[in-house]
Amino acid sequence: MIGFVGFWEILFARLPSFLPYLLRGAVVTLEITAATLAVAVILGLALAVMQRTRARFVATTARAYIEVMRSIPVLTTLFVIYFGLAYLGIQLPSFVAAVIALGMLGGSYMAEIIRAGLDAVHVGQREAAMSLGMTPTQAMRFIVLPQALRVIVAPTANYTIGLLKDTAIVSTVAAPELLFAAKTLVSQTILPMQVYVLTASIYFLMSWPLARAARHLEIRLSRGV
Amino acid sequence: MGAFLAAYGDSLALWLPPLVRAARVTLIVAVLSIGVGAITGLPLALLKLRGNRGLRRAASFYIEVTRGTPALAQLYITYFGLAGIGLTLDNVTAAVLALGLNAAAYMAEIYRAGIESVHAGQREAAMSLGMTPAQAFRFIVLPQAWRVVLPPGANLGIAVLKDTSLASAIATPELMSRAYDLVGQTWRPMHIYLLVAFMYLAMCLPLAQIVRRLERGVKRSDVLAARVPEAAGWRQRVPAA
Repeated sequence: MIGFVGFWEILFARLPSFLPYLLRGAVVTLEITAATLAVAVILGLALAVMQRTRARFVATTARAYIEVMRSIPVLTTLFVIYFGLAYLGIQLPSFVAAVIALGMLGGSYMAEIIRAGLDAVHVGQREAAMSLGMTPTQAMRFIVLPQALRVIVAPTANYTIGLLKDTAIVSTVAAPELLFAAKTLVSQTILPMQVYVLTASIYFLMSWPLARAARHLEIRLSRGV
Repeated sequence: MGAFLAAYGDSLALWLPPLVRAARVTLIVAVLSIGVGAITGLPLALLKLRGNRGLRRAASFYIEVTRGTPALAQLYITYFGLAGIGLTLDNVTAAVLALGLNAAAYMAEIYRAGIESVHAGQREAAMSLGMTPAQAFRFIVLPQAWRVVLPPGANLGIAVLKDTSLASAIATPELMSRAYDLVGQTWRPMHIYLLVAFMYLAMCLPLAQIVRRLERGVKRSDVLAARVPEAAGWRQRVPAA
């Protein structure tokens, strides 16, 4: 076992060569996170609306989708999308496969978050809006949604933090993100501890400000609810 | 579609036994990880709640860092990183250690919320009856906190069960890595990964059902407790609607 001093000396000596390489990976991590978040919000909104429709079948389908997606590891979903579809002749780039797999799961989380937000707005608000002559769509758009947004924002921020960390699994299908960059670096330098600790620090530096912001938002927005 | 399903008819008997054996490893790793998480999470929560400033800081730091970094990166540190500085763990131990210590950080926050949900008057009353702080915690606070801890704790358990799939990245012989090997042998990724997804589903869905029942139970007893005191006793004799 090499000494602790040796560990840090090696890390600091290699930092100038490690850091730019890993940071390029971190940029891809952020790109995957942003793209997935967009997919998840759109899918989540659709699922939330589906659950609120009167058509029994549509609502049940949405419910079943959410339950199923939440019971399967993302890694399995990712392998179905990446390796499974390739077998059927649809060869997706790893970035796209990653966004689809993470987005499919994210949609079910966002659906629950959005549903909770819509439920938090008192029915009287919608009824009052409609009694003033608004259409159901207008009542949703101008009265219910703005109020629901307050409840939705904080858990969405929390979901985003989880998502940022979950993108790490995409390294298994060789998407050139942070953890994959780290793996490549380890195979070149054979310094796993230094590289992975540095990589974990970069993840932490990305997720921690987000976590602080989420906590701040939660306190700010809960005022007066 | 017919041809696709026919492959299952031909080979399911061949694929299923190794996958079921691997699913057992998945369950063992999950149970051990949850055990490590549940056991180390409690002292962590107590350090954060009752420790002196230094200990509180240390516990917070551990919790924040663990929750702020990917579990997969933690697995790599535990398996490859430790091996790199001379401590070689086998891949099951590394998986249990990494996933367990990861779960501990989440568990600590769950315990903390549970302990904080018990009114301070309960502890004070216990101590005014002559209990030591440890006794008050053990016999008065913890049993009441447990009710609040159980549903999110069970939810975490499901998350850990799914996270064991990450251990395939360090070749722990669990379900996902066995599936990966099987795909290498049979070259039928879609069939095998869908089958594996179904197996995870079969493990997680019943657990989710139990969690929902737990959540409902806690909610109902809270509603009853909020009513007039004797209502709680009266209601229990009426069969549930």
